[in-house]
Formats: sequence, structure tokens, C-alpha cells
Amino acid sequence: MIEQLHYATTPKYNFPQSLQDLQLPQRFIEFSLKSMKKINGECFQPNEITPYEPPRETSEDLTLAFPPHNSFMLQPIPLKPLPDETTIAAVDVSSIKVGETETGVLCALRGAIVWKEKSRYRCLRIGPFPFHITEENKREIYAMLRRFCFKVSGETHAPSLVNMQNRMCSLLERWLQMGVSCSLQRSVILWDGSLTAGTLDSPVKIVSQLLEMARNRLNTVLAFSKVTRLGLSGHRLTDLAWRYPPPSLLQINDFPTQASGTVCFLGNIYVARLTEGSCSFRLDIDREIPWEQELEAVQRLLGNDLFLQSYPETLRLAHIFSTFTANEVIGIQRFIAQKCGLKMVTRPDVRRLLFGPYGKGSEG
Amino acid sequence: MRLYRKEGNTIQILALPSEDVEKGEYLLIEDPTAHRSLITQVIDIQFANVPGILEELLRDSTTNESIHEESFDPLGIASHVTYIQDSRLLVCKIRGTMDDEKLSISASWLPSRSQSTIKRLPTTSLLTLAKISDGLPIQLGETNELSPFSIDARALDGKLNIITGKKETGKSHLSKLLVLGLIDYGAAVVVLDLNGEYTHLGFSSNGEKNEHFNKVQVLTPGDNFKITLTQMKLRVMLNVLINALHLPGTSAREFRRIWCFLQEHGTLTLHDLGEAIRNWRCNQHVRDALFSRYYSLLNSGFFTDNPPEATDLEDNFRKIRNGGVLVIDLHDISLVDRQIAVEYVLGKLVELLSQWKIMAVFLLAEEAHLYLRETYWDDIVTRMRHFGVFTTFVTNQPNTIQENIYRQADNVFLFNFTNEHDLETVSRAAKVDAETVKSIARDLPPHHCLVLGRAVKDFPIVVRVKALDVQTMGQTRLFFVNN
Repeated sequence: MIEQLHYATTPKYNFPQSLQDLQLPQRFIEFSLKSMKKINGECFQPNEITPYEPPRETSEDLTLAFPPHNSFMLQPIPLKPLPDETTIAAVDVSSIKVGETETGVLCALRGAIVWKEKSRYRCLRIGPFPFHITEENKREIYAMLRRFCFKVSGETHAPSLVNMQNRMCSLLERWLQMGVSCSLQRSVILWDGSLTAGTLDSPVKIVSQLLEMARNRLNTVLAFSKVTRLGLSGHRLTDLAWRYPPPSLLQINDFPTQASGTVCFLGNIYVARLTEGSCSFRLDIDREIPWEQELEAVQRLLGNDLFLQSYPETLRLAHIFSTFTANEVIGIQRFIAQKCGLKMVTRPDVRRLLFGPYGKGSEG
Repeated sequence: MRLYRKEGNTIQILALPSEDVEKGEYLLIEDPTAHRSLITQVIDIQFANVPGILEELLRDSTTNESIHEESFDPLGIASHVTYIQDSRLLVCKIRGTMDDEKLSISASWLPSRSQSTIKRLPTTSLLTLAKISDGLPIQLGETNELSPFSIDARALDGKLNIITGKKETGKSHLSKLLVLGLIDYGAAVVVLDLNGEYTHLGFSSNGEKNEHFNKVQVLTPGDNFKITLTQMKLRVMLNVLINALHLPGTSAREFRRIWCFLQEHGTLTLHDLGEAIRNWRCNQHVRDALFSRYYSLLNSGFFTDNPPEATDLEDNFRKIRNGGVLVIDLHDISLVDRQIAVEYVLGKLVELLSQWKIMAVFLLAEEAHLYLRETYWDDIVTRMRHFGVFTTFVTNQPNTIQENIYRQADNVFLFNFTNEHDLETVSRAAKVDAETVKSIARDLPPHHCLVLGRAVKDFPIVVRVKALDVQTMGQTRLFFVNN
């Protein structure tokens, strides 16, 4: 056991029981505290607070080189809302860099699960978990998190310090997705992103397992991508839905399951235009469930959730509740500085020093 | 606390919620490199403009209304976030500099933002440094830190003072404290008492005589305060006729002739004045005008032809020469009678002062606009001051006092005002910036007073006015007393 203060889970924490069984929150606390154990007395340069943190690198972004194909068939599917009190759940996570120490990077992770049950939204926020990642401990942290999240052991190559934040964020997300899949039944589960697998943070085996867990409990996973660069005949995929009245799906038939290299699509890809408005989204639905069930899941989502610009409210709330505000970042910086006795310093900005007002953009 | 920014004589200081500071308190910004400190006063407390706060509050309000939120925050970081949310911005005004324990009003330097430390300057320390309570202390009450607060009686000597605030905030209470404090040091005080509040200054709250009993004299015009025409100077009488009774110029000229005639013949009585007007050869309109004024004088009950019944004001002043208060009880008498009495008292006062029969008098005038003619204001604050009449105006309608009076006021005792218009008027006082007045006076609780000016050596101080064991007569009569 790590020599640290014992943090009991809060008495309010009562959702869902099986999440506690996974013991991951406790593990996350332990890893978090362990990672910060060695920074006592170091100098700490808080990160400048920017209200906008660039979006995480997703597996989809890694597969930009989607092969051009001419044989795709576009099939519009009109939808009819199916209100039947199905539980709609959504998971989202976010991470933020809070500063730098002499030896590494300080970041924080937080996840949010939002679910709509009997016309009422409920939310569980998990975190924030601050981490101090160094060249020394990154491998250990990454391996341990993988072990506890994915139950995979063995040596693994830890990402660079710069990418660690995103990788850890993905691990937390996968763990939350697993928790939701295990604890809900006959529900629609919304993921932020796609069902593209085969990358470092989304191994095919793991994503397949997550989808299988959901299927076994008669849940359906729908993954919404806000941004996609997949295109068809020179057009962005999401621009193709304009011609069809909402609510509708645009099915892309004969879509390949395998993209370049190890990357593969574990879901059927649709373009969803669920309400009037200017937005449509790429929607991935678990490929292993029957087509009728896919359609029914989307109709249940339509019947049981609210929508803003075609985007489900549950997923929107999950994003809002996981996102860090600038004030929270200051709070986390204060917590770390107090907890670890860090001395706050401001290192000179080399760009500013050299170029004055022309020294724009981040250093690197 | 950290120094955040400076603009003009305003300094902004960032403070965390645990650093509890209230409006009106003093802060010392110590710059170790410059070896001196800046003295600032908190005039407003605002929430710090923390980045992302709007997003957070919006998110929280959503969870309160329609979303049931639970949080798993084992490290307790949320408390740090709320701590930041509650951080404050203290808006302060620079009041002076402390250089090697020496105090000066100058503030022509800027302390270091990175090196300076900020700490609270207890009012007691400020009082000692500025020597505010030295000399002849009159205890007014206590400061925010519950330490006693006194002003030097000499700070009122030769000065023009204003006590103002909205109703029932404690103005009269403070006035009484000042009056009793002054007479304790042997000063002569005249109170123009509009509501009969000062008539029982010589009695304790339990109705027994107190130590001031023999120093309080109450004169009620028409009752124990009557005069003969011979006691009144023609100039004063003309002032009464022209200003209080609005006698036209032509008629005033005739009156002057009649007065001189009667004076020459040694028959200056009320009866003979009436007869003279009746028999005087003049225009009928003039006669009618003079008669109507004559009857006003007659009906006031202030004049008598019986010399033993008449009051010798000089004698009254002599009695308070070594400390005492002469209360002119103006309640229950008409506006005109009030004006007649005040004209006479002030005229007599100037006469006695100019003849050096009395040294100086502290005049306390409550709601003076109700009995003081307009032209008298300037006279009081300029000419009469040189004779030794040191006035304190007490009012709950600040706009009734002219702007030039505010500008010349040496001390202002300011109680709570909420009305913007009132605050705007009071903020014209030259002794302090308008922002301080508006910001602090708006939030003063009852019986708390912001003292400005010479009395506090230009360091505005908030005081809780102490209780006074005197029978209070200024309380409003209530209908639902025991219900």
C-alpha cells in the first residue's frame, strides 16, 4: 500500500455499485498521490490559464489517410423517435496541463458520467486527479494504469512526456466506459469519439472487449464524433447529410472494416442529422449488433434524450461537467503547491525575451 | 494579500477568503526595499475577476436546477476551487505614507508589487501614529476592532462641522456626545433644538439628574425666553421683519423711522409701537403692512413690555462661560416664531462676541434650513466664524445644506445614506474623495459613523457611536408601543 493519507470515497458516491467494485478510483488516487510524492520542495511553474484547451488527439485523427474509394453507397434512413424510458448514459473525460516542475509535467484528469433516467439527468464527476509525470515515472504510471484499466500486463512502451497526458486521459475514459457498460442494462451508451481501434490508447482487443461487455448486458454503444476528416468524393462526410430531412441517418454501405495498418473500424459508420440545424455528426454504432437493433438504439436515443444541433444532451453535459475551467486550474495549482510544498516560479518566456511582442505562439 | 494594481490614488489588492477585511479598515503596504509603507483604506470589497468563473457558476446553477450531480473528489480539490472562487479584490484609497514611524499625507511613490507585504493596520495604531486622540479627547465610541475612539476637542475649535445621515442612524446621539464632551472641557455651546431633544441633557436615562444638570440651560421662546423691544437692536428687528416676515423695502424704511422715533422718546415698547404705527403719517398700504407684521410679533409671545419677565441672554451666556450648554427649544413653535428667536439669538451672539463679552461659542444647529434664512449660511461659515461662532450643522436632508458649506466643512460625521442623490450631495465634501463617501456611507450600519476631516487628521475612520446615559427626547412617538 502506498504510504499516503487514506482517502475514503465520499458517502455521496453511490453510482453504480459495480464501478466501486473495479476499485479504479482508489487506484487512481494512489497513482496520483504516488506520482506527486517525489516533488516536494521543487520549483513549479504554473501553466498560463487559457480558457480553451486544444482537443485531445483521437484515434480517428491518426487515420486521416483514409483510402479514397468510389464504390460507397449512401443510403438515407429516416428515423422515428421511440420514447420508452430507456436509460441514456454518456461518458466524457478531459485533461489539462497545470504546470511544469524541474523534472516533469503536472497535469490533471477528470471524467464525467451523465445519465438520463426517468426524465431526470444525473451526473457523476470523477476527479480531478492530479499527476506529476516525469521521464522516470511515466513508464511505471502508464503500465500500472493499463494494467488496472485493461487488465493487461507486460512491458509496454510509454508515450513521450508530451503525449502522456492524452494517453492517461484515454485510459481513464476507457475505464469509465467499461464501468458504465458493466453497470447498465438495456441502455444506450454514448461515447465521445469514434469506434476506431488499433492505436496505442485504443487497442483493438480492449475496445472490442468494451463493446462486448456492453452487448452482453443488452446495451448499445453509439459513438459521436464532433469532428471527422473522413470524406467521400472530395466532400466531408458530415456535409453529405444536408439533402435529407432530419431526423435521419445516412448509411455508408460497403465501408471497409480495415483502414491503413493496424487501424480498424469496430463500428458501422453513419452520418447523423437528428434535428434541424447546421450540424451533423459522424456516428459509429457497434458493428456486432444486428442492424435493426442499431436503428432501434438511435430511435430510442431520439425518443429519450434532448438534442441541441443534432447532438445528444447527455453527451453534451458529460463534456461540460468534465471540462476544466480556468478557475479550477488555479484551484488545482494551489492544491498541488500546498500539498507538495512547491515553490511557484515564473520562468522567462524565451520567445517573449527574444522577439518581444512578435514572440507569439507556444514555445517548442 | 497581494498588491494587484494602482490607478490614480486607488490601489487594488487581491485577498483570499481567509483574509477577512472589512470596508473602512486600513492596510499597510510595506515595501522592504524602499523602507517605507503606504497607508491605504479599504473602501470597497469586490469579487476578484477569476478567469472561468462565469462558466463555473453557470455549470453549478444547472446542477442545482435540473441535474442531480454527485462528485467523487477524494483529494478535496473542490474546496480549493471554491476558495479561489471566493477570492476578493479590495479597492483601497491611498491615505498616506509611513516613513520611519513618521506619518505623512504624501503618496508620491509606488511600492513594489512583487516585494511588498500587506498587513492590517489596526485603527489604534493609526490613532497613535496620527495623534488623533491626543489633546482633549472626546470619546465618541469604538472602532471596528472594539478599541475606544476619541477625537481631540480642539479639532472642533474654530471649525465648521456637519453631522449628516438618514433618519434614525444616530446623528442626534453623536451631537449630544459632542455637546457634552465640549462642555466637559469648559466650552460654551448653543443648541438650536428643533425637536426638543436636548432639553433633558441634564438627566440620566433613569430620569435622575446627572453631572451635567447644572450646565444645561433650556430657553423656550414665548415661555421662559421673552425679550423687550429695547433688548433688540434695530438691525436685528429689521432682519426679522424683512427675512422672516417678508416686509417690503418701503415699509421697512417707515418702520426704521418709527423705531428711531420711539427710541428717541424712550418709549420703545410693544404697546407704543402699535400706537405709533396707528398714528404714523404714511401710506395706508404701508400702515397695513406694518400692522400685519406688528401683530405677528405680538402673537409670537416672544416680546414683552414687562422688563422683569424678559430674559437677559447675556446673563445666560455668562452662566455657561466656563462650560455649559444653552438649549434654545424651538419645538412646538411656528416657523415665523422660530425664525424670530433664531435671528435674535444669533444677533445677540455676534454682539456679545464682538464686544469680547464671551470668548467663543460652539453652535449646534439641527435642520437649520427650517429656521435659518438663506443669506445667513454664508454669514455663519465666514463672518461669524471670525467672531468665534463655530457651527455644527445636523441634518438628515443633505441637499438642504449648500454646496459651498460642504466644501468648507472641516469635519464631517457621516452616517448611513442609501439614496444616491444624498450620497452625491455629501460626496462634495472637500475632505475626502467622492468614492470613499459613496462606498462606505452606503453600507454603514445604524450607529456607525464615518468621521472625515481634521478630527481624524484626514484619515477617514468608521466609528461605532457609544451609548449615552442621557434621557433621550428625540425618539419618535409610536402608536403601536405595547402591541
